[in-house]
Amino acid sequence: MQIKPILAAMRHHKAGALLVGFQIALTLAIICNALFIIQARIARVERPSGVDESRVFVIENNWADKSSYQTIGAQIGADLIALRQLGSVEDASSTNSFPLHGAGWDNYVKMRPDQIHMTTDSSVYLSDDHTLNALGVTLIAGRNFTANEVQAAQLEEGKSWPVIIISKDLAKLLFPGGDAVGKTIYVTNTNTPSTVIGVTDTLQSHMMDGDSGSFAYNAILVPVRQLSSYVYYVVRARPGQLAAAMRDAPKALFAQSRMRIIDPKDGVMSFAQVRAKAYERDYGMAILMGIVSAVLLAITAAGIVGLTSFWVGQRRRQIGIRRALGATRTDILSYFLTENMMIGVCGVVVGTLLAIGINLWMVTRFAMAHLSITYVLTAAIILLLLGQGAVLAPALRASRVPPVEATRPV
Amino acid sequence: MLKMTHLSKVYRTEVVETYALRDFNIDVKEGEFVAVTGPSGSGKTTFLTIAGLLETFTGGEYHLDGIEVSQLNDNARSKIRNEKIGFIFQAFNLIPDLNVFDNVEVPLRYRGMKAPERKERIMGALDRVGLASRAKHYPAELSGGQQQRVAIARALAGSPRLLLADEPTGNLDTQMARGVLELLEEIHREGATIVMVTHDPELAARAQRNVHIIDGQVVDLAEDPRFHTAYTAAAGQIRS
Repeated sequence: MQIKPILAAMRHHKAGALLVGFQIALTLAIICNALFIIQARIARVERPSGVDESRVFVIENNWADKSSYQTIGAQIGADLIALRQLGSVEDASSTNSFPLHGAGWDNYVKMRPDQIHMTTDSSVYLSDDHTLNALGVTLIAGRNFTANEVQAAQLEEGKSWPVIIISKDLAKLLFPGGDAVGKTIYVTNTNTPSTVIGVTDTLQSHMMDGDSGSFAYNAILVPVRQLSSYVYYVVRARPGQLAAAMRDAPKALFAQSRMRIIDPKDGVMSFAQVRAKAYERDYGMAILMGIVSAVLLAITAAGIVGLTSFWVGQRRRQIGIRRALGATRTDILSYFLTENMMIGVCGVVVGTLLAIGINLWMVTRFAMAHLSITYVLTAAIILLLLGQGAVLAPALRASRVPPVEATRPV
Repeated sequence: MLKMTHLSKVYRTEVVETYALRDFNIDVKEGEFVAVTGPSGSGKTTFLTIAGLLETFTGGEYHLDGIEVSQLNDNARSKIRNEKIGFIFQAFNLIPDLNVFDNVEVPLRYRGMKAPERKERIMGALDRVGLASRAKHYPAELSGGQQQRVAIARALAGSPRLLLADEPTGNLDTQMARGVLELLEEIHREGATIVMVTHDPELAARAQRNVHIIDGQVVDLAEDPRFHTAYTAAAGQIRS
């Protein structure tokens, strides 16, 4: 091994070696945190919503005539009948919000009426007896709402509901020891309890930002038909008929009444579009991090190529002397690769410490998760391979320096 | 030990061919101390670089220690340079980033020699040139004569069959030059084959045999009274 003489020679080129080492360290620190963020975003984007996404679409319906909520209630009823009668539609329901929507209603959940601090927070979806089927969500315990339990009402603070259905994650959180069905909870600031009559399989919250992480799968369905200036129709198409249903549904609604506004651009959205819109920022962040990482890697590679090329030019005579003294081309190639590997390893060690430091700061500052060693190792391997790749061309050039170079005049 | 027959070296460009060596013949026996002389541009250094396998030649034959070298690949040439040849250059050619010990160690490392043997040989060679106490010094901390002694130690450490010296005293003052020359003579007395290229007639006269090159060819000095007179006079002065 040539480590000792390389180290000895490097003492005379400290500045360049330190510069590249520091660049590698900094790149590693940023890259592994960036990879970590990208992975976290991808994991977030890939979370299941619980909805049968390949068949579900949503219509945002705004009423043109908002004079009478009673009229609106009747119109929603008529709309739903019209939608359910379409050959391409399996079921339809009205709601105030849906998973991944971003906007919606969330409420504190308490176990006792006199409880000061909430037990948790949850999305509240105004639903009817068709909602579960329209979303494609399975009931895993208890029963669905009956048509008689569904009431038309305006959204009001302090209102309570005698029966509710909750998601399994919320059920597990509230009743870790057993079956939630038949138990009571307090969903608003009233002293009236709501009885859990059913538990759904996975059902995601509408909340996307802030502290929604811990509430991401808390959902409560209440049997209410919303009377307000707008309504969302959640429609589930029959298998393979999503496109047809998305085309037919608005026509059916306008055939019922033209006193409505459905935005031609995004008034009708497939759930794939809902998901893409919901995670737009996550995709953006992942892409941005990817670009930053790629640019940093390119700069580091360019730095290594530049410095090694400079060193090769500077040491041309020295390489010739080594060749004259018996070094083979492979010896010269291996000299530069080893030298780069040594700088790279030092950079990686410092970079690892820096990465952990940056991550600890982000954990404290942005409540991020602790960096997994896998990302540090991945970034370290990427950087070492990149370093070896970047040094290859100038090292090959060095290996082609002929031994006769030793006899050239100084 | 070193035999070149009808050897030629041509440098070609798009428009011109330049013969650095033409129909070049030389035969150096084992244990000889040969001085190669000639005016600037005569082909002395080209001869030395070809003899040291630092460069390839265009035509003819070259046998080194019984091996025909024209067909050898780069690795085989490197191995022969490393194991059979010791170089002493005019500009010393020490590696400035390495100390004296590490400089002498360079060819031994390429031979794959184990560390204890390397150390023994390095210290032995440095002791021989009187620089064992300077092992940790860097070339820049040494005088020209000392640097050339380190270069000689580097050449000797590998126990080469052939020592090639290119103007070994060219960068030294008279006193330092004398010291280096005495060292070479001592090495020769111990049985080494030395081929030394030099401009200096005094230095050439100290060799066993002189080979003169003009225009890329070996010239017989006995048949050329101009050179014969000059070298004989110089040799006479030195020996007296």
